Amino acid sequence: MRRVYVAGVGMVNVGKHVDKSLRDLAGQAALKAMEEAGNEVPEALVVGNMLSSLVEQENLASLIGDHIGLRGACGLKVEGACGSGGLALMTGYSLVASGLFNKVLVVGVEKLFERPSADVIRGLAYAADADYELIYGVTFSGLNALLMRYYMSKYGVRYEELAYWSVLMHKNGSRNPYAQLRNEITLDDVMKSPVIADPIRLYDSCPLSDGAAAVFLVSEDIKKLTDTPVTVAGVSNSIDSTDLSSRLELDYLLASSTSARNSLKMAKVDLREVGVAEIHDAYTITAALSIESIGFAERGKAPKAWSEGRFSPGDKPSINLSGGLKSRGHPVGATGVYQVAEVVMQLRGDFPGISVPAEVGLTQNIGGAGSNVTTVVLRR
Amino acid sequence: MTTIQRVWRLKNTLLNLLASRCSVCGHVTYPPKMRCPVCGSRELREESLPREGEVLSYTIIRVPAKGFEDFTPLIIALIKLGDAKVLAEVVDVKPEEVSVGMRVVATVRRTAQTIDGGVPYVIKFKPLRS
Ligand SMILES: [Zn+2]
Repeated sequence: MRRVYVAGVGMVNVGKHVDKSLRDLAGQAALKAMEEAGNEVPEALVVGNMLSSLVEQENLASLIGDHIGLRGACGLKVEGACGSGGLALMTGYSLVASGLFNKVLVVGVEKLFERPSADVIRGLAYAADADYELIYGVTFSGLNALLMRYYMSKYGVRYEELAYWSVLMHKNGSRNPYAQLRNEITLDDVMKSPVIADPIRLYDSCPLSDGAAAVFLVSEDIKKLTDTPVTVAGVSNSIDSTDLSSRLELDYLLASSTSARNSLKMAKVDLREVGVAEIHDAYTITAALSIESIGFAERGKAPKAWSEGRFSPGDKPSINLSGGLKSRGHPVGATGVYQVAEVVMQLRGDFPGISVPAEVGLTQNIGGAGSNVTTVVLRR
Repeated sequence: MTTIQRVWRLKNTLLNLLASRCSVCGHVTYPPKMRCPVCGSRELREESLPREGEVLSYTIIRVPAKGFEDFTPLIIALIKLGDAKVLAEVVDVKPEEVSVGMRVVATVRRTAQTIDGGVPYVIKFKPLRS
C-alpha cells in the first residue's frame, strides 16, 4: 500500500448552529481543508454522518460535493453511528493507499439542533439494537449508565472518581477556540447536575452538538503540498455486538482493544511512543473504558490514574487536549474527523488550544456503546 | 416507536426468552445469532432461558426517549438468566429499591404503543419475593 499524508485540515466551531445548514457546516470545513492543501481539488469526497435523517436529507456526498464545486468527483457516505467520522477517515485512507485516487477529502458532519431533543435522543439510540433494546425505551445514556454501574460495582470505583474526568476536560477545552463548552467546572457542579440516567448526570455526558470537520488526504506523490507532512501511519476498525446483552465483557471494550492493537501494529508504533491522543469520552465511563481498552491504564485503574495527574497536558500521552467529547462537543458523525484534525495540528505544532510537542498521535472513535471502533495512528 | 409487525416477529424471543446455544462450544447468546459469536459454528439450537435471574446492573432513566414519557422514570436492567444476559425493564419496584444482585422473575406486561396504534406485550421483570 502507498503511504498517505495529511495535506490540510479544517474545522468549524462545535456548538448550536441554528443559522447554518448541514451543507453550510460541511462546506465551511471542507473549503478550509482544501485551502490548507494549497487549493488542490479532491478527486473523491468521503462523508461521515449518522443522523442526517433528522434534517430529512440523505445522499450527502452529492449534496456537499456539489455545494463546494466538486461535480464529477467520486462521492460516498460512510456510517458507523457515533464512529462514522473515524470510518470515513479509514475509507478515505484506503482510497488513497490503494492507488485509486491521489487526493481524497474526508468530511464529517452532524446537524442535531433542528428537531426537539426527544427526537434527537431517540435518533441517537438508533446506534443500539432496535429489536431487543429500544423496544424497552432505553436511551443511549441508559445503556452507558448500565456499563457505568457495572464498572463501579466490579472495581469499587466511586462516582466522584469518574466525575473528575469532566472537570479535567472542561479545563482543557476552555483553551480550545473550537470547543462548545468552554467554561471551567468543579466536581460539585458535576455532582449537583440533574440525573439523566442514574448514575449518569448531565455533566457526566457530552452535549448535543452541531459541527463539521475535514481532513485532506493525499498520496506520497504529492506530499509536497505541505511542509510539515503528517502521515496516517496506521488505521483499524473493529466491531462488537450492538446489544449489550450478548457482550462477552461489560467492563471492557473488546472492539476498542482490537482496533488499537491492530492500528499500532500497522504503524509499527509501541503504545509508549504515543505523545498525544484524542479518545471518545461520550460519558465519563466511556473515558475509563477507552483508556483501559487502548492499554493506557490497567483495567479498573483509569480513574485513579487521571486523579493522580496522568494524561494531563505534558504527560505522555496527553489525552484530549481539545477537551474531548465532553467539552469540545460531540457532533456525532463528525467527531472522529475532529479528533484526527486536532491530532494533526498537535503534531504540526499549530493547535490553537493547549499544545504539546509530540511525534506520534492516536485517535479513538466509538460508534454505539463500544460496537464500532476506529483507531488512527498519526506520525509527523 | 416500534411497529406491531416487529413485535409479532419477535414474539418467540421477547415472550419466551429464546436464546441460542452453540452445539460446538456451548456458548449461550441472547438475543440469538445466526453464527456463534465465540467459535463461529452454525450448529446452534434454540433454548429458553430460565425466567428467574439476578440484576447485574441497572439504570433509572429520567430523560425519556420519544414515546416513553408515560414509562418514566424507567428502570432498565441487565439481568443474568442462566448462562446468558438479558436487557429488560424492571417493574413493581420503586427506583430507590432496585439493587445489583436483586433476584427478579419474568412477567408479561404492556409496553409503549406502536406507531401503528398497537398495544404490545413483552417480558419485563419484577422482584422475586420469597
Ligand atoms: Zn460456539
